[in-house]
Amino acid sequence: MTVTDFLSLAPLIIIAIAPVVIMIVISVTRNYKVVYGFSILSFLTAFASIFFIVPAIPHSIEPLFVIDIYSLFFLGIIIFSALLVTLLSYDYIKQLDGVREEYYIILFTSTLGASLLAVANHFILFFLGIETLSISLYILIAFQRSKDSSIEAGIKYLILASVSSAFLLFGMALIYTALGTMQFNGIVSALGESGQLSPLVISGFAMIMVGIGFKLALVPFHMWTPDVYQGAPAPVTAYIATVSKGAVMAVLIRFFFNIRGFDNRSLLIVISGIAILSMFIGNLLAIRQKNIKRLLAYSSIANMGYLIIILLTGTNKGIQASVFYLISYIITTIGAFGVITLLSTCKYEAEKIEDYKGLFWKRPWVAIVFTLSLLSLAGIPLTAGFVAKFYLIFEGMKAGLMVLIISMIINSVIGLYYYLRVITAMFSPANETELPAISLTGNITLCLITISILILGVYPGWLIDIIMKFVNL
Amino acid sequence: MLTVPIEIQILFAGILFLLGLIGLLVRRNMIYMLMSIEIMFNSAGLVFVIAANHWKQPDGQVMFIFILAVTAVEVAIGLALLLQVYHHFKTLDADSVNKLKDYN
Repeated sequence: MTVTDFLSLAPLIIIAIAPVVIMIVISVTRNYKVVYGFSILSFLTAFASIFFIVPAIPHSIEPLFVIDIYSLFFLGIIIFSALLVTLLSYDYIKQLDGVREEYYIILFTSTLGASLLAVANHFILFFLGIETLSISLYILIAFQRSKDSSIEAGIKYLILASVSSAFLLFGMALIYTALGTMQFNGIVSALGESGQLSPLVISGFAMIMVGIGFKLALVPFHMWTPDVYQGAPAPVTAYIATVSKGAVMAVLIRFFFNIRGFDNRSLLIVISGIAILSMFIGNLLAIRQKNIKRLLAYSSIANMGYLIIILLTGTNKGIQASVFYLISYIITTIGAFGVITLLSTCKYEAEKIEDYKGLFWKRPWVAIVFTLSLLSLAGIPLTAGFVAKFYLIFEGMKAGLMVLIISMIINSVIGLYYYLRVITAMFSPANETELPAISLTGNITLCLITISILILGVYPGWLIDIIMKFVNL
Repeated sequence: MLTVPIEIQILFAGILFLLGLIGLLVRRNMIYMLMSIEIMFNSAGLVFVIAANHWKQPDGQVMFIFILAVTAVEVAIGLALLLQVYHHFKTLDADSVNKLKDYN
């Protein structure tokens, strides 16, 4: 590897070094504030380093990495959302007894796995990235080990995620057997030579879809989502819902477009079916939930259903719409889980809808942020969610995906019902429950999220311009 | 030297994978479930080795070493979590570890 190779991997290297430094610091002395400050600083440095390597791209390190503007964009999204989750975690993790500093180490390793997915151009990196991400997540989910629910969620995720990884791996192995290459861009040329898809390749793609579908929580591989969302500590739930999904989406879009999956009719039919099922099942099951974390879990299933529509358009414009949707989804979801995190303590998770009764009269500012996040998830105008949905529907219509777009619109209406249920609870008369105080970092993060939701909702043009100019595959 | 056709080799690995999957679905003890997952991973690794031999490339073998490393980590964490499960639930039966449910 040359110096340029190392320089172009700067964000990944920073994220890889940071946990080692934290480990050394912990072995000398345990100081929560120092570790926290260092984590924020490292994420900021990694984020800033992305802008410095822009002149060096597109650059590919054969055969594993490809660093183009697309991967840098997703690296930015991943690192920024990890930064937001870190900012939110301060109080929640501080209250835990026993080990606390290790949380940030594992947050870094999982972000490293997610970042690997954004630059992956090879099955080896695809597999390593997904495994680094999910193995770190097992620990994060079970981090509150004094709680039954945390441990249960951890072991459930461990078993189901490893099975899905085994499927993914077997699928990769079959494709490698049939085509003799593991590089994404090599696959399409190898496919082109043989013309007709052999049964090995088809079953390989099917098994890869199972693995990816599980990580994105698409129906019928969604069973783990509500349990894990409920059992995991609130900041970790925010992390799973945003960073892990965003990273898998990054690799899915690159893989799908590299193998030109949209040219294959049967693959398109399968993906349409998965998308429609995810939307309907996610939204319908969310209606009766009394637990907000479960409600948001089902809503995330539906949201991923909306998002994979874009794979079917097979155009650059489609990718741009999905990137915009992903950004707005991530900001909004971190906002919603951020409020849950800030209102929870390690003793008591504020996860029932009753816990939010009269929130507006007790903590008006937090209630407004939560309302805004939920409205954005529902896609109400003047929020980021509306513009994102509009953009997605617009691109879908241009590609002629009428059935998918109509079911997306029906589902937006169903979604509105359960989001509004939470909002009405917040504005109903207050009851007598104590709420924890909210720290400065928490308030700053909520402020950041509110501003971004509103700016993207009212004046989205600049971001769309940036995306259109840079995100091309 | 007599060589086995590649189809038979892949079929063999596929049967191993299915055995692992069946074991996972049938067994309720979580240690056995982890073992079944190991079998699934290793059968995938076997396909990589077969393919590498077929294409005369080192890539598949490299992948197999990565798989070994990853599964080792996975089992280490899995066993640590199982210890915690036993502390909390006093059982390793997958059906009894089921407190997280809908509508409560």
